[in-house]
Amino acid sequence: MSFGPDVYAIFWREMKRYRKSKSGVLIRLIQPAVWIVVVGNTFSGTKPLIQAAGFDGEYIEFMAAGVIVLTAIFTSIFGGVNTLWDRRYGFMNKALVSPISRSSLALGKMLAISTVSVLQASLIIGISLAIGVQFSDYAMIIPIMAVVLLFSLGFSGISVMVAATAKSQEAFWGIINFLGMPLFMISPALFPLELLPEWLATLAKFNPATYTILMVREMMTGVPSGVPAALSLGILAAFVAAVVVVAGWTFTRDVNRPF
Amino acid sequence: MTGAIEAESLSKSFGDTKSVDGITFRVEESEIYGFLGSNGAGKSTTMMMLTTLLRPTSGSARVAGFDVVREAARVRSHIGFVQQENAVDEYLTGRENLVLQARLSRVERNEAKGRIDELLDTIGLVDRQHDATVTYSGGMKKRLDIACGLLHRPSVLFLDEPTVGLDIQTRRRIWESIRRMHREHGMTVFLSTHYMEEADELCDRVCIIDEGRIRAVGRPGEMKGRMGRDVITMEAGGSARRLADRIGAMQGVKSVDVRGDSVTAYVQDGAGMMPAIFGEADSLGVTIRAVSMSKPSMDDVYISYTGHQIREQGPEPRRRRRGI
Repeated sequence: MSFGPDVYAIFWREMKRYRKSKSGVLIRLIQPAVWIVVVGNTFSGTKPLIQAAGFDGEYIEFMAAGVIVLTAIFTSIFGGVNTLWDRRYGFMNKALVSPISRSSLALGKMLAISTVSVLQASLIIGISLAIGVQFSDYAMIIPIMAVVLLFSLGFSGISVMVAATAKSQEAFWGIINFLGMPLFMISPALFPLELLPEWLATLAKFNPATYTILMVREMMTGVPSGVPAALSLGILAAFVAAVVVVAGWTFTRDVNRPF
Repeated sequence: MTGAIEAESLSKSFGDTKSVDGITFRVEESEIYGFLGSNGAGKSTTMMMLTTLLRPTSGSARVAGFDVVREAARVRSHIGFVQQENAVDEYLTGRENLVLQARLSRVERNEAKGRIDELLDTIGLVDRQHDATVTYSGGMKKRLDIACGLLHRPSVLFLDEPTVGLDIQTRRRIWESIRRMHREHGMTVFLSTHYMEEADELCDRVCIIDEGRIRAVGRPGEMKGRMGRDVITMEAGGSARRLADRIGAMQGVKSVDVRGDSVTAYVQDGAGMMPAIFGEADSLGVTIRAVSMSKPSMDDVYISYTGHQIREQGPEPRRRRRGI
């Protein structure tokens, strides 16, 4: 079975492209950097509020985990866009007439997007450290990365799926923007769920980003999130597994559907 | 003995439009087979069905002995496909593009290395192999693309309009590359083109396709031979139609074609017939303002089978995959 090497072939190509677009790395850092520096300081006065909700620390320490996940959300959900270009400019057909399977094509892309997402998130961790955010235990950076990778795999799956089925650029961006921002906002990224109105907090419980943020925050700050880490991880893993299966299936069915 | 490609009543419709309308043909092993037709004749659609990218509406096709629908995966491991639009990855270097192709087609690593060196030499890109392909000229990219199609030694290579949009020197270089690769590897080549001279230069056999149907198949030389040995083209002052009818009745004339004031006669012995033609014109009171004689071209063959000239309008509009 050559599934592994096939997935790697696509992964290799995507990573080559990433390495050659150095300006993109920086551009993608601007937005999360602005969040953490500007929003992190703007809301520093909310410290008593978040303390009342059970978080004992600076606001910027609270929201740093949210921005790490923000980076992962946007890097991975935008990451599938080059699938549109591939469909437009030859590469997709080239891959489709080659012996490798459609699902390895989808998975290779998802893995590459997730890797990029982790790299971007690690740069945000670097920025957080530089502006004085402290970790309770620096060894936690490794499991944080692992959680970000897992989470990104799910969101890149959504992105690749939308890109494989979208009928136009506009449709892709419409759907992706419709998904991206709410997934970030309806979560404990900026404020504890306890401070959100009841209905928003309920909605947030259906958002996989919520559990990711809770896990990352707990690992960064050492403050218990209120949801057991094993439960959060289980929910996230189930979400990712479902997306990988659906994305592989959708990609196989739709990517070369007669136009 | 099965052919490299066998199509049986192959058809493809998009909505109410029949893009390919029940074509049957056979391509022998190691032959260079040309699909000649104007834009929209059904060439690309046929090629996409043969390369498993499109599912036929009806009919069937076998490529390298495998059914393109039921055994699509096996077809894919036996074919190379060079698309009309350039599929070179511009973020990668020339060599990396070949490495990518090797991985996509599961060529073993060490084996790939040797083949890549060899192909780079064939297409004359050894010196530029480590440069990003974004710096390559159109012709260099196309040669690289063709090399990508050949890397895994496919038994059938599909070339969709390999030289569309390139200048004449570049086209000649590409033809040379194709001939050289064909000589070295002996694969079957199926190419589509709307350039007459390309079909003439490269192909062992040419299939003329028009409005989704096959109009004629044959060796370029024979097809031209059927047209007579010489082509006489005249500008008639007066009734071109009457002159044409008169010429058509003469001995040794294969066919006559009228287009406005211009009369084209396909004849066996042009030099010998010229005086007689002038004589006929005189007796009709038609003056011949200009005359020229040439050898028949694929152009003439094409016109005689389709009744119209190929519409020369640059590259075929990119078939938009769902409007992207």
